Amino acid sequence: DRVAGGAEDNGDIKIIAAHNQTSPENPYQYGMKEFERVAEKNESIEVEVHAGTLGTSESELVQKLKLGGADVVLVSPGFMSKTGIKEIDLFAMPYVFKNYDHWERVVDGKVGERMAEIINEKSDNDFKLLGYWSAGVRHYYGKKPLESIEDIDGMKYRTQTSGVIAKYWEATGAVPTSVAWGELYQALQQGVVDASENSYPYFVQQNHHKTENGKYITETGHDYTTRFLLINGNKFDSYTEAQQEAVLKAAKASVEKEREVVKKQEEEYKQKAIDEGAEVNQIDREPFIELAKPIQNERAKEIGVMDLLKKIRELKKEG
Amino acid sequence: MFIKWLEKIQLTIGVLFLLVFFITIIIQVITRYIGVSAIWTGEVATYSFIWSVFMGASVMLNRREHFKFDLLLNKLQGKSKKTLYLINDLILLVFTFALFYFGIIVTESFWNFTWVSLPQMKMGYVWISVPIMGGTMVIYTLAHMIQNVRNFSKGEVIE
Amino acid sequence: MIGVVLVGLFIILMVIGIPIAFVIGIVSLLGFVNIPYIPEAMVPVKMLNGLDSFVLLAVPLFILAANLMNSGQISQKLIDFSLSIVGHIRGGLAHANILVSMLFAGVSGAAQADTAGVGKILIPNMKKQGYDTETAVGVTAASSTIGVIIPPSIPMIIFAGLTNVSVGALFLVGIIPGILVGVGMMVLIYFLALKKQYPTYQRASMKNFIKKFLDTIPALMTPVILIGGIIAGIFTATEAAAFASIYTVLVGMFYYKTLKLKDFPKILVDTLTLSSLSLFALAAASALGELMSYYRLSSWAEQFFANNIDSRWLFLLIIIAFFLFIGTFMDAIPAMILFIPVILPVAISFGVDPTLLGIVTIMTLAVGLVTPPYGLCLLLAAKIGKLPIERSFKAVIPYITIVVVVLLVIAFIPGVAFYVPELISPDLF
Ligand code: NA
Ligand code: NA
Repeated sequence: DRVAGGAEDNGDIKIIAAHNQTSPENPYQYGMKEFERVAEKNESIEVEVHAGTLGTSESELVQKLKLGGADVVLVSPGFMSKTGIKEIDLFAMPYVFKNYDHWERVVDGKVGERMAEIINEKSDNDFKLLGYWSAGVRHYYGKKPLESIEDIDGMKYRTQTSGVIAKYWEATGAVPTSVAWGELYQALQQGVVDASENSYPYFVQQNHHKTENGKYITETGHDYTTRFLLINGNKFDSYTEAQQEAVLKAAKASVEKEREVVKKQEEEYKQKAIDEGAEVNQIDREPFIELAKPIQNERAKEIGVMDLLKKIRELKKEG
Repeated sequence: MFIKWLEKIQLTIGVLFLLVFFITIIIQVITRYIGVSAIWTGEVATYSFIWSVFMGASVMLNRREHFKFDLLLNKLQGKSKKTLYLINDLILLVFTFALFYFGIIVTESFWNFTWVSLPQMKMGYVWISVPIMGGTMVIYTLAHMIQNVRNFSKGEVIE
Repeated sequence: MIGVVLVGLFIILMVIGIPIAFVIGIVSLLGFVNIPYIPEAMVPVKMLNGLDSFVLLAVPLFILAANLMNSGQISQKLIDFSLSIVGHIRGGLAHANILVSMLFAGVSGAAQADTAGVGKILIPNMKKQGYDTETAVGVTAASSTIGVIIPPSIPMIIFAGLTNVSVGALFLVGIIPGILVGVGMMVLIYFLALKKQYPTYQRASMKNFIKKFLDTIPALMTPVILIGGIIAGIFTATEAAAFASIYTVLVGMFYYKTLKLKDFPKILVDTLTLSSLSLFALAAASALGELMSYYRLSSWAEQFFANNIDSRWLFLLIIIAFFLFIGTFMDAIPAMILFIPVILPVAISFGVDPTLLGIVTIMTLAVGLVTPPYGLCLLLAAKIGKLPIERSFKAVIPYITIVVVVLLVIAFIPGVAFYVPELISPDLF
């Protein structure tokens, strides 16, 4: 049985670990390399890290995880909820997290634990959560700086295409638009879209901040992003106890490393953007947050995670 | 006769999907231009495109029009030519059956996955194009083989 | 070891006449059988995912636009117009053949449509006027390669999608090399025509020229709309392809009135069947590319080049030689899907600009369109001219030498292609 396979006759295992980013400088690669380094301290484990070589699309990585073409992958909530685990949308909602501290209290606490259980149960043990990574904080960047929430009205705005996100931006008056990531530089350059949103390490590496419609960055901070580090649960169960321990330990180390690198890179790439002529401004986030609340409530009810949403909001007050 | 009918149906489906993605792209440009959000266009267009390619590829297998080197096939005559065609079709039969079989496996695995922009749509509707392509390719290849065996002793080669 | 077996199998299957796309699929399936911990279902998974890219939609759309042009007899208008410009030169019809390919290139992203559409009209005509068949077939096939060098170009769009290089930059960089190739071929024809005393047309009167020019304007507007629309941000490259089709329909139906509603079913079927051939091959190539990822071919290639090659010149020469070879039996698109992900990181480590890699790769693979055993434009032209493949290839060699010379010039003096585009649109580079 291939799904439960991966183990060779002598009990050695090979773990294929994959993420979708091709740049060797991407935080994901640091995280995966750390996972490899720590896991391989157990001599019966070999980890093979694929940086974008097993597909640059996350939906493909999820398919591979399920079928056994990859053992450990990194996925964002938008693509995870595609697998039928709707609850995951909770972490993808705009303005559900206030800052990194808040995000960490949520994912590293009871809510994160509960989400891990949901993922494992709903996927029938195809997916087992190893840890929460981040792809940074997403901000607006466009052809003009936002001074208030009204400024975004009518703008052709490239966002992720999943339901709750598109719905939120529609509510702000923006026109969510579908442009492939590979075509986005061009689209911003030539004005196919007026604006986009992402975190510094991602859009600065693609030089979006150098384009006509990408050089004004407003720190909307609408999404402290969550990424799921997943392993195929059936394979995990087939490992020896020592191997399982080594994998969990490696996952923990990778979580620390990846978060550290992402935060460091956000500073670096923000500075790079500014040095290269982009303009950064702050904005009062309150109107954005208020607008998000009813949309969060509605979606949370739909997918049955109102209790978790309440817990997340309670955690905002602490700290 | 059945083969002709099957090919016609498949070709029609392929052309319809070609039209769907063509129109969807036009809608994408127009809606963006007038400032209406139609975020589903990317997925609808791409998935229709996949369907049309797979249907077209299957039809072209039936017509034996996929690009190939026919140097050897053209050099041979009579029974040796027919034998080579039979060998080739047998290899194609195994491969297209594998596409059909593994196509079913992946369709089952991903049936309940949903589209990103239209969560009410199942990914199964997209993946099922793979076993349909594989299955029809099996049928076409079998038909080629049967025809060739029937005419084996006769003069002409059925391509 | 397994690599040798798979390559051997690839060759055998190809020689016995299994279609190339299926050879690629079979080899990748067997490769996955050989890796015990990876399921064979990866083959269909990767085939479908290989097509799951918005950029690829440009392929059938540009083929549709070209088919519409041929059906709407826009090709005939372009030929008449070209004749009024170069017809009076010795070997006028051959010059017109090249010029019309350059004009057609500005509309079409695919080269085959040019060979088929223009060749059907010009090859018989050239024969009638006393050109030898070799020249007719050779010029027609070779000049079609300009179609993928002058924008728009399907291979450029695919390359951009694979590498995140700007489509606009590649388009702009293709213009000058495309013109150089065309002019080079015309010079060659001129000397050949003097020697063989090929006929000329009477110089078109100014009045006649203006009439032909006005008649062609709507057709000539297509590249302006396409490239202009992309640069002005009205649409992306893929969307531009759809609009090229709409524009061609409008011009064909309402201006020239040569395109009829009853023509559409056939045009659509032709578009579907023709484009599904390359795209199915591309899907199969994605599966093979995936297999190469599991075998870590790209890090192996990186190490090999790092240890054995120390000059970027040599690296570029190797890449050119490699793609010349691959192009003899494979389409440009699957060849790029398979090898560009492997080559790109190596190229960057040698300091080769990805856009330069793009134009060099595309020009090299364009040569593959006219090299046997599998060169689509050569096969088509030979079929139209009823000339055996071997003789057709011999006829085409002088012309592809010109493509190769221009290609080498661009590879080693990139400024030839890059200087002007960088002046016009510095942001793109
Ligand atoms: Na072109
Ligand atoms: Na070729």
